[in-house]
Amino acid sequence: MIRAVNLKKIYKMGEIEVPALRGVSLDIPDGDYVAIEGPSGSGKSTLLNMIGCLDRPTSGNVFIDDVDTSKLNDNELAKIRREKIGFIFQMFNLIPTLNALENVSLPMMFYGASRGKRIKKAEELLKIVGLSDRANHKPSELSGGEQQRVAIARALANDPPVIFGDEPTGNLDTEAGKVIMDFLEKLNKKGETLIIVTHDPEIAARAHRSIRMRDGTLKA
Amino acid sequence: MFYDSLLLAYRNIRERKFRSFLTLLGIAVGIAAIIALIAVGYGMQHSITKELTGMADIITVMPGRQIIPGLGGYAEPITDRDIVDIERIGGVESTGRWMYGTAQVEYRKERTPVTIISGETRDLEEMYEVYAEFEEGRWIHEGDYRGCTIGYNVAHEYFDEDIGVSDRLTINGEKFVVVGVLEKAGAMASTDLDPNIFLTIRAAQDVLGTKDIYMLTVRISDIDRADDIAEEIKRTLDENHNMEDFAQAMTMSSMIEQIGTVFLMLQAVLVGIASIALIVGSIGIMNSMLMSVMERTHEIGIMKAIGATNSNIILLFLTEAGMISLVGGILGCILGTITATLVSIGVSFYIGMEMPAIITPEVAIGSLSVAILVGIISGLYPARRAAKMSPVEAVRYG
Repeated sequence: MIRAVNLKKIYKMGEIEVPALRGVSLDIPDGDYVAIEGPSGSGKSTLLNMIGCLDRPTSGNVFIDDVDTSKLNDNELAKIRREKIGFIFQMFNLIPTLNALENVSLPMMFYGASRGKRIKKAEELLKIVGLSDRANHKPSELSGGEQQRVAIARALANDPPVIFGDEPTGNLDTEAGKVIMDFLEKLNKKGETLIIVTHDPEIAARAHRSIRMRDGTLKA
Repeated sequence: MFYDSLLLAYRNIRERKFRSFLTLLGIAVGIAAIIALIAVGYGMQHSITKELTGMADIITVMPGRQIIPGLGGYAEPITDRDIVDIERIGGVESTGRWMYGTAQVEYRKERTPVTIISGETRDLEEMYEVYAEFEEGRWIHEGDYRGCTIGYNVAHEYFDEDIGVSDRLTINGEKFVVVGVLEKAGAMASTDLDPNIFLTIRAAQDVLGTKDIYMLTVRISDIDRADDIAEEIKRTLDENHNMEDFAQAMTMSSMIEQIGTVFLMLQAVLVGIASIALIVGSIGIMNSMLMSVMERTHEIGIMKAIGATNSNIILLFLTEAGMISLVGGILGCILGTITATLVSIGVSFYIGMEMPAIITPEVAIGSLSVAILVGIISGLYPARRAAKMSPVEAVRYG
């Protein structure tokens, strides 16, 4: 369960203050599938970063499973990101020096899982996303679609209840994008909460519900 | 986690091979300089101490207010009575007299002043045992009343014609036969050997026209009592001459002690200088790590986004810095050992005295620890900077 209460975020560009969020409140219950839509600059990625505990709001609160994250320190926030949230980015964001298997096992390493356990789980996850034969390949040796599937496997590594996708298909062709979305929806059907930021109306239409943003506020 | 950080650090180092190599080279040079200086210093101290220890049964006795003989000095010489009294002291085995002076030497109608050194022939041989090599001939013996041994310069530089064994010299009007010619001595003993003529005590007394003794070497039977015996010798001579501080009696152990102190100071200074190289190396690590943090901002952001804590990130960067400095330290130990060995060979060759390069395990382990410590300290600031990055800004950086 994620709840945002009157979130505001103001970026400072030198002397000028740029408001990115102007008071956003929302509830996302467990197992929901939400699309956050809006043109670029509308604040949708900023909102995702706030509720995904990647950034702190200037004011307002984010509750994750009734825990007020504004009261948490850096390490406690890291723990939430590690255990409750899986992130998928538009640019895949894999570590270039590590191969697919190592990338997938990285969150488990920060979790403190043993090496054997990590490798076993990472292999399983790569199998689920259909990349068992690519385990030893570095990101630069994988296609965009494959990289994003590795990223999904990585997001699932610590069995988080929520998956955040920031334009997860934005850098993929239609076919690869469809594979990714199908996969994410399959996860949602199994009970995973799915929150996707997109400006593609087709993808937004597939979600249970869609939240539209403009100029840092929610549009009904 | 630590093992994984090692693995990740290794990957990153390998990714930037050349830069990492240059960075660790900086540390290696610093460590090598320190190791080499300490090794050479120890070696020198060791060989000098060893030599002096070999003469631990000798006490050197001189009039304390000595004014250089032959230059109009009027310090009182050591008398025959002094010698008899010293030989009566318990633990004293024998005494050896030494005489110094300058004499006019003539060879084939050419004349020049030369320094004469004279001692009991046994003492001469022993004193210069390590340094003296003979071009031809031998040391003078007790029976060589009209024989002399000459230094390299006397044989080859002072006169137009070279002097060899069996050639005749006139020293202050007295005729002598050369029984030995020394080779050119190394730097350590050059002034002791090269420009001098060595005579027996009897001959020197005739030639120099004096029986004045300005130095005695006293051989003792019990090395452990050296300091007590030296004290007693001094007291005896002071009484004989009715003067406070007439004589000084030096044991080898007091000399060794003095030399030890000098070496310690010398090494502190040298290591201080070498540390500058190490500081430069550590700045290199810090610089390289900061560049690495900048380059990997995006990567750090990703790691934080997927749940890395600040301390995870610090550990990663410290491991990397520690690894670079450890390898640098090991390389430094190897380079230092090679350098020290080369220096010791060179110095041994130049001064004609064996001087080993001594690298103790303590020094090697100490240097490695210093290297790692320096690496970790230099890595601390970049690591903290990396850890403090906001994940969202770092992710966006890509």
